[in-house]
Amino acid sequence: MRGVAAAIVGIGATEFSKNSGRSELRLAVEAITSALADAGLAAADVDGLVTFTMDGNAETAVARELGVGELRFFSQIGYGGGAACATVQQAAMAVATGTADVVVCYRALNERSGRRFGQVTAGLAGNLTTVGIDNGWHYPMGLATPAAMVAMIARRYMHLSGATSEDFGRVTVADRRHAATNPNAWFFGRPVTLADHQESRPIVDPLRLLDCCQESDGAVAIVVTSLDRARDLPRRPAVIAAAAQGSGPDQYTMTSYYRDDMAALPEMGVVARQLWRQAAIGPADVRTAVLYDHFTPYVLIQLEELGFCGRGEAREFISGGAIEMGGRLPLNPHGGQLGEAYIHGMNGIAEAVRQVRGTSVNQVPGDGPVLVTAGTGVPTSGLILSAE
Amino acid sequence: MTAAETIRSAADRLAAGGDSKPRLARDAVNQPMIRNWLEAIGDPVDPRGQECPDTAPPAMIQVWTMPGLHGARGGDDPLGVMSALLEDVGYTSIVATNCDQVYHRSVRVGERLAVQSRLLDVTGPKRTALGEGWFVTTRSTWTSAGEPVATMDFRVLRFRPELRKPPQGDATPSALPGVPNEVIRPVVSPDTEFFWAGTRAGELRVQRCGDCGMVRHPPGPRCPSCGNMAPGYVVAAGTGEVYSYVVHHHPPVPGKKLPIVIALVHLPEGVRMVGELLGAAPDQVRIGLPVRVEFARIDDDLTLPAWRATSSTALPPRAIDVTPTFVISSALATRDFQDVHHDRDRAIAGGAKDIFLNILTTTGLVQRYVGEWAGLDAIFRAISIRLGVPCHAGETLTLAGEVTADDGAERVISVIGRCGLGDHVTATVRLASTGNR
Repeated sequence: MRGVAAAIVGIGATEFSKNSGRSELRLAVEAITSALADAGLAAADVDGLVTFTMDGNAETAVARELGVGELRFFSQIGYGGGAACATVQQAAMAVATGTADVVVCYRALNERSGRRFGQVTAGLAGNLTTVGIDNGWHYPMGLATPAAMVAMIARRYMHLSGATSEDFGRVTVADRRHAATNPNAWFFGRPVTLADHQESRPIVDPLRLLDCCQESDGAVAIVVTSLDRARDLPRRPAVIAAAAQGSGPDQYTMTSYYRDDMAALPEMGVVARQLWRQAAIGPADVRTAVLYDHFTPYVLIQLEELGFCGRGEAREFISGGAIEMGGRLPLNPHGGQLGEAYIHGMNGIAEAVRQVRGTSVNQVPGDGPVLVTAGTGVPTSGLILSAE
Repeated sequence: MTAAETIRSAADRLAAGGDSKPRLARDAVNQPMIRNWLEAIGDPVDPRGQECPDTAPPAMIQVWTMPGLHGARGGDDPLGVMSALLEDVGYTSIVATNCDQVYHRSVRVGERLAVQSRLLDVTGPKRTALGEGWFVTTRSTWTSAGEPVATMDFRVLRFRPELRKPPQGDATPSALPGVPNEVIRPVVSPDTEFFWAGTRAGELRVQRCGDCGMVRHPPGPRCPSCGNMAPGYVVAAGTGEVYSYVVHHHPPVPGKKLPIVIALVHLPEGVRMVGELLGAAPDQVRIGLPVRVEFARIDDDLTLPAWRATSSTALPPRAIDVTPTFVISSALATRDFQDVHHDRDRAIAGGAKDIFLNILTTTGLVQRYVGEWAGLDAIFRAISIRLGVPCHAGETLTLAGEVTADDGAERVISVIGRCGLGDHVTATVRLASTGNR
């Protein structure tokens, strides 16, 4: 991704709920319709669609509902929430190469009222595929939920860094404080304290309930086109200054326990190095960051892997409200996936776009670049968005 | 004010009030009661059941000041006041959950003890397995002529019992609706078959390249180091140490009774492997804990590798036949006259399946178990008890223990007592080292 002149020109979402009462396909269509309206484009302008392999709505089904006739580019990206920023990366690459003109990235899920990712899905260990075989080293032994898989990393990280459960709780407090002033957040008006975090019940020790993101129903869509075309559209373009994917050595999906340094996210390091190089900036230039927060410990590890602080220093970095509004690096101004909603990272990209436009309800002052990351513990992706 | 606000404000008021007035024990520390206690708690063939020491067993500390059959707690006793208040608003049942006793010195026959208590904490309402309830924690201090001799932090759950369905078989958390009660089975490929054949045969097999010697887990079809397409394996020694671990509480996991400890184990062969850590009290697990492999046979086709903490410092396990006579005589010897410990009908009416052991007896059993191992001259500094499932009449309680620390000045022994329903007690005992073991 070098010299790519693509931008996000539209964002759209459904309400975020615990029971949408509608099909995932309808949620996808609603979010995309809203994003196209935001972009000042019509369904007929769309010639590319990108989503997650985990999404239940095929590009073809979405195209039928939208009334998009021909598609020139369609793609699905794997590895759960690690796909989020990569949908935009692929859209940008398609636009930059002339493969497509207008690409919509979408993710729609009834994750609370339908299949809940936090429960044990025995079938994930039942397929004779590399994923099924990998899961066979963990699921039968009882390590069978995302929280449990992250807790194993978190314990080792605590052992090495001295981070405590309270340090993880500071992420929750920041997210929930930001969500409290975001009317679209599920936890609007409901901040929590560190004591609330410490009193929340253990889920998979060392993780407590308030270390885990929400379960949500909802959808988010993102419209990508060339920067040239973006200049003619109504919204201030969010320029895709950098976009990258990354997978690390000895990579597994959620269970990278067999590499030398397991209390780390080398896959995010792969992403980070590309992002800084492409955007020609460093961590100090970032105005605000939306860091993937399905589980709090990975926010600390990300800060280290992205270069905001040294290895093992995140607990000092985040102390004293540094990651809250007004702090040196406000994180997840929309409330993150703990506070706003769990839309597999796509709602974080929408927030980054609002920060670039200057339209967030929790606007971080300035016009510097905004960093977004995707799912952690899995092959992942990231973006840097900036004003033109 | 809501009920919760009423409870909290009463708790704040009580906590601010500090210690209750000292309440004098009815009797001085005396040999008949010590003898009764030793008879009830001790083994009939235990010589100490016959002869009576002139100091009281440390775990008896609470016995001396129990209110008795018709006795009442003092009007300013914080546990009594909080209990009455919670009962008034519908939390009608009570169960003790924790007891942490610290002994400053032993008490001698003839000393007349006094006790005073203060409220440490009231938390709730909490959802518990028994029903919604409040945890009440008090700290009691025993004094002899004004000199503190022991303290105890005591936590009870006051709860609103939930209507229970009649028990059907051995209900376990993983027998919940929608969660299959069988372990998740691994899919096996030609690349991984050797591993699972190994566990069936009682061998822990680790991929090891016959050409370059690289070891690797999980295995695959090719040696990533030298490219050998038939890497081979070595049988591991079966030892290792905990590299990381989790304690899984939620949600239910097929085939597992929660909570479970799952460990990532580092093997001396140079690889890591995930497995359940069997028989481990979660608070006793630590990174670096030495473990040994066990093979958990599921059926003819599947045997899972699992781990257990190794120790040359394990105490010999001890089985106690919990007869109705044992439950009743030990409850009375500890001066605990709650009906659930001697009246089967009342116990069943309260939701239990039979009369069950009281916490003072469980504390006594832990002391006796460790004392038998440590010798007559063992000096108990503290016993910390956490209760799990009740231990009913008719069950066998098996105690197992392990020395988890010994710094020359103090030995720490962890004890787990299991009965038919699961872990009845997890305990930590601190002994002053006497150097004879």
